[in-house]
Amino acid sequence: MKRILDITFKDLIELTRNRMTFLFLLIMPIAFTVLFGFAFSGGGSGPEDPRLPVGFLNLDGELLSLELTGQLEASTVFRLVVDPEATPEGLEQQVADGDLAAAIVIPAGSSQAAVAGDPVPLTVFVDPSAISGMTIEGDLQAAANRMNNAILTARIVVAVSGEDSAFEPALGEALAAWENPPIRVNDTTSVPAETGSGSQGNSFTHTAPGMMLQFAIAGLITAAQVMVSERKNRCLQRILTTATSRLQILLGHYLAIVILLLGQFILLIVFGQLALKLDYLNQAGATLLVMLTTALCIGGLGLLIGVLARTEEQAIMFSLLPMFILSSLGGAWVPLEITGPTFSAIGHVSPVAWSLDGFQNILARGLGLESVLLPSLALAGYAVLFFLLAAWRFRRASA
Amino acid sequence: MKAIEVTNLHKAFGETRAVIGVNFTVEQGEIFSLLGPNGAGKTTTISMLSCLLRPDDGDALILGHSLRKDPMGVKSVLGVVPQEIALYDDLSASENLTFWGKMYGLRGAALKARVNEVLEIIGLTDRARDRIKKYSGGMKRRVNIGVALLHKPKIIYMDEPTVGIDPQSRRSILDSVLALKSEGTTVLYTTHYMEEAQELSDHIAIMDHGKLIAAGTHNELVRIVGEADRITLSLNAESARLIEAWKRTRGVQQVDAEDGNLTLLVDDSNQVLPRLFEAAAASDVRITSVDIQEPDLEVVFLHLTGRALRD
Ligand SMILES: Nc1ncnc2c1ncn2[C@@H]1O[C@H](COP(=O)(O)OP(=O)(O)OP(=O)(O)O)[C@@H](O)[C@H]1O
Ligand SMILES: [Mg+2]
Repeated sequence: MKRILDITFKDLIELTRNRMTFLFLLIMPIAFTVLFGFAFSGGGSGPEDPRLPVGFLNLDGELLSLELTGQLEASTVFRLVVDPEATPEGLEQQVADGDLAAAIVIPAGSSQAAVAGDPVPLTVFVDPSAISGMTIEGDLQAAANRMNNAILTARIVVAVSGEDSAFEPALGEALAAWENPPIRVNDTTSVPAETGSGSQGNSFTHTAPGMMLQFAIAGLITAAQVMVSERKNRCLQRILTTATSRLQILLGHYLAIVILLLGQFILLIVFGQLALKLDYLNQAGATLLVMLTTALCIGGLGLLIGVLARTEEQAIMFSLLPMFILSSLGGAWVPLEITGPTFSAIGHVSPVAWSLDGFQNILARGLGLESVLLPSLALAGYAVLFFLLAAWRFRRASA
Repeated sequence: MKAIEVTNLHKAFGETRAVIGVNFTVEQGEIFSLLGPNGAGKTTTISMLSCLLRPDDGDALILGHSLRKDPMGVKSVLGVVPQEIALYDDLSASENLTFWGKMYGLRGAALKARVNEVLEIIGLTDRARDRIKKYSGGMKRRVNIGVALLHKPKIIYMDEPTVGIDPQSRRSILDSVLALKSEGTTVLYTTHYMEEAQELSDHIAIMDHGKLIAAGTHNELVRIVGEADRITLSLNAESARLIEAWKRTRGVQQVDAEDGNLTLLVDDSNQVLPRLFEAAAASDVRITSVDIQEPDLEVVFLHLTGRALRD
C-alpha cells in the first residue's frame, strides 16, 4: 500500500510542475464557461416537429463539417432538408420562392481552414421578410459557437502541448483567436445574426458542469504523458526491478489522476457556487457522490490512455478524441434533453451524459441523493470497465 | 552460497538469438565482468537476471533465489544500474533518490540519511535540488548509479555505466565500483571496454553473438593466446637477412613482415629486445621505432573471434 502512495505522490509532484495541468483543469474550463455560457441557452422549448425546413448543402464533407452537421441536426428550431443535387444558387432560389425557410451552405475546405486557424464563413440564405429567419440565424450561431468552442480547445491544447518555451506565445495566440472565431455566420441578407440571449434561469447550470467534464478529459493529457514518459525513459522498467508489482504501479497512477480530478472538481464547484450562483452545496452529499464517481470514471479513462499511448503526441490525440466524442455525444455542448429521446439514449453511451444527469438533477431540478444513485452507478461501472481494460493491457505489455 | 549461478540461459527475439546457452558463476564479494561488443547479448542477460525478461530456457540462482520460482526474492537482493539512464527528468536528484529509495523499501529518517550519503558518494550534494533535466550526461550517469546504491544491496548489476562520459566522471565511477567491492558488495559489470574489465574484475567472461566464448581471471584468459608479448618495429631499410636472424633468436616465437612494419611475438620482451638490437646492429640496420604490447583481452578477443573488440 505504501508503494502505491509513493507512486501517487511522485506523479502529483510531476503533474503540479507542469503548467499545462492547471491550464487544462482550471483556467480553460472557467474561461470557456464564462465566455460561452450564454451561447448555450438552447432556444425555446419547441413542441413536436413544426421545425422550419432549412436547405442544407455541405460542400466540405470532412470531420469538422460533419460534426457541425450533427450539431445543426439537433436544432429545435429547424430541420435540415438535404438534397444531394442542390447547388447554392438553387437553394437561394428556393428560399426566395418560399419553399424553404432558409438555406445553409458549408463551403468546401472548411474543415481544413478551421483547423489551420482561418475563419470559415458559413453562407446563410434567409428570407428577410420572414420572422423565422432571425430565429434560424440565432440557432445557427449557437451551433457555430459550440463548434468554435471545440476547435479553439483543440487548437489551444495542441499549441501549448509543444515546446515548453513556446507556452506563453502559443497560449496568447490561441486565446486571441476568440476575437476571431473560426466559424463565422456570413449572412447574405440584411437580417443581422443574433446570438440567443439566455432566458431560462441560470444559463450556467448546464455549461459549467459541461465544460468541467470536457476539460477534465482534456486534462488527462498531462496525466497520460506522465505515464508515457515513465515508460519511455525506462523508469517503469526500473521500478519493475524493485519489489514493486505491476498492480501497485497501476493503482499508484490511478490514484494520482483521481486525486487531481477531485481537486479540479472541488475548485470548479466552489467557483460555480460562489461566482456563478450555482447551488451545488444545497445537495452536498449528492454532489460529492457524482463528483467522486465521475473522477473514478474519467481517471480510469486516463489510465487507459496512459497505458495505450506510445508517445506524448499519442497521449494528446488519445485524450482529445474522447474529449470531442464523449463531450458532444454526452451532451456537454447541447443538453441531451432538448435533442429528443433517440439522441439522448445514444448519448448515454458516453459517461459524460451520466455525470451531467447527476449534476443537472442537483442544479436544475434541485433533486437529492436518490436522484444521483443511478448516474453514479453507471459512472462506477465505467470506472471498473476502464480500469480493467487498462490493467489487462498493462499486464500484456512487456515493459 | 554463490552470489550468482547461471545455468543454460537462452533468449531469442523472433529470429534473433540474443543469448544462447550461457553459464557462469559469480562468487560473493567479487567483481565479475561480462565483456563483449555491441549486440553481444550483455543487456539481454542482465535483463533476465533482474527478472525483466523471462528466459526461454535455463534459470539462475541469485543468492539462492531462483529467477523462475522466486522473482520477488531475486529483486529484493538486487540493485540494478540500467544501461540507459532511468530517472524522472522533472524531479531533482534528491527527489529521484528519495522516490527510488522508497521503491527499495527505505522509509523515514533512514531514507533521508541514506539519500544524503549517496549524494555525497556521487559528489552531487551541492546540485541535489536541481532538476535532472538540467544535468550533464555524466552527472545523470552518476545519479543513475546512485539509485542502485541506496538500499546497500548485496548484489549490484551495472550495465555499461561508463558509456559516453568524460574521463573524469568515468574515473570516479570506476573508483566507486572498487569501493563497493571493498565493502563486500558483489558486482556484475558489463562493458565493451577491455581496459575496464581488466582493471576492475576478479573474473571476466567474454561474450560474443549471444555466447560466452571464454571465462576466467585476466591471466587465465591471456594464457589462451600463449603468454606472448607483441613487439611492433620499423626499420630504416628492408633486410631479409635480419628477419631470418631474428627468427632464429632465442625467445622469438614468430615474425611477420607487412609493408615495412615487423610484428614479433616473443616470450618476454624484456629479455628478447636487447638480442633484437644486437642482431640489427650486426646486420647494419637501424631500428627506427619500437612498440611493445603485453597480451591483453583485445588480443584474446581477436584470437578467439578473428575480429577486433571495437569496430
Ligand atoms: N527487445 C528486443 N527486441 C528485439 N531484439 C532485441 C531486443 N533486445 C535486444 N535485441 C537484440 O538482441 C541482441 C543482443 O542485444 P543486447 O542489447 O543484449 O546486446 P548488448 O551486448 O547489451 O549490446 P550493447 O553493448 O550495444 O548494449 C541484439 O542483436 C539486439 O538487436
Ligand atoms: Mg547493452
